[in-house]
Amino acid sequence: MSAPADQAALVIESVVERVFRSVAEVHDGLLAGYRAAGARGARMCDRDVTALREPLLALLAREREVAVGMGVIVAPGLLADRPLRMEWWQADEAAGRPAEPVMLEVDLNPASVGFYDYASAEWFTVPRRTGRRHVVGPYVDVHGTDRYLLTLTLPVIADGEFVGVAGADVPVARFETLVLRELGDLAADVVVVNPEDRVVFSTSARWLAGSRADLSGAADVHALPEPHWRVAVPH
Amino acid sequence: MRLPAGDARRAVFAPLDDGAMRSEAVVRRLGSAIGLGIIVDGEQLPSELQLAASLNVSTVTLRDALSDLRARGLVATRRGRGGGSFVVASEEALTELSRGRLRELGSTDLRELGDVRAAVSGTAARLAAERAADSEIERLRETLGRLAAAPGGTEQRRIEGRWFIDIAAAAQSVRLTREEIELQFELGQLLWGTERTEAELAATIADHHRVVDAIAARDPATSRRLVEEHVAAVTAQLMDAHVRLTRRGHRRADHTDAYPEAAGS
Repeated sequence: MSAPADQAALVIESVVERVFRSVAEVHDGLLAGYRAAGARGARMCDRDVTALREPLLALLAREREVAVGMGVIVAPGLLADRPLRMEWWQADEAAGRPAEPVMLEVDLNPASVGFYDYASAEWFTVPRRTGRRHVVGPYVDVHGTDRYLLTLTLPVIADGEFVGVAGADVPVARFETLVLRELGDLAADVVVVNPEDRVVFSTSARWLAGSRADLSGAADVHALPEPHWRVAVPH
Repeated sequence: MRLPAGDARRAVFAPLDDGAMRSEAVVRRLGSAIGLGIIVDGEQLPSELQLAASLNVSTVTLRDALSDLRARGLVATRRGRGGGSFVVASEEALTELSRGRLRELGSTDLRELGDVRAAVSGTAARLAAERAADSEIERLRETLGRLAAAPGGTEQRRIEGRWFIDIAAAAQSVRLTREEIELQFELGQLLWGTERTEAELAATIADHHRVVDAIAARDPATSRRLVEEHVAAVTAQLMDAHVRLTRRGHRRADHTDAYPEAAGS
């Protein structure tokens, strides 16, 4: 563990793991709600999802420094009384001060130009398909939160059945701040790219977050296992 | 009743800052939201008080606007329990609404709209060629496939609007995306007044495919130029339609003015 890329990778991983620990708490809440409904001999309902609200808000307040949004998205058709359901809260800042969290209300009408098609969104489809955690982004969350984000999601699976996903939205700028703070005085430039060669993080204006970078020439590259990001120290 | 949200829906119910002609502005805003499918056929509008507050207009202005929308056949009002104002998504009424808008705008307004579109959509295409992921490029192609399969004119305009918004998102720019959403909103108020033949639609889709090809080829200059050319062509069509509608309007006015005189003589 001496190469600069390895050191930077440790920092990146620690920030990612910190977010996933919170997402795991959200995951546990949805799973418990699903199992409780099963124990009653009933299908999960709209109000079982609403019951997750209080713990979700507490978690969001605790993780305000990292995440701007957290919540669950229920598998379409799973609830007894509603076809599509998300319980997603955002804690934005107004004039530098934390504002009251608001529930994200998106347009779930398929005929609208503003339709928020979550069932085909990558942060939903990939964990559903693979059963594994996933990080999407950086991306523009158009029709949703209207931000430049990383979205980290965990599938919620009960006895082989896909219940939905739990997740958190981390603004790319905030992720950058957290990593920069931890990176300290590492001398070299660091670039992190996602599997689509998009820059997630960089310490240099030569690689802008969101742009694409070809790191094939970099000698010092550390591949992270999950998410499949590459941490490079180019010359 | 909660006010609906989501980017596009937020825009529908956001305060109006148009100043003059407020009730016309409300009519235009709600009319284009109906056209874009952001508020749908049969949907109940928020109460008069809520709607007036969120649009930042007086209840008098709002009532004027609602009565205008009723007269146009875009809103129906039911009295009593479970009553309120409900959306009627009538294609003819929407066409008439955008023809009126095309008539009242000057050709310089249309040129200005085209100028901003060229700046926003052209830049978005250039940046998308540099930044779009392969999956985003694939989605742009899928959207064009849906455009080709869409049955009606309104639906086609909607999908085309989403295509432009998706290019801005593929450019990785939140601010360009916001601008593009607003531009599509404004454009939607005009385009229902113009018709497209099947051949014209096919040609437009072919042009759009060339844009996606240029983005996929990572060719920023060509991507930008193709989008600018498309925007210029649409702007020219809107100006033609504006001139045609306005001249026709005058002839009709002359005719009715002349009629009583003829009767009196």
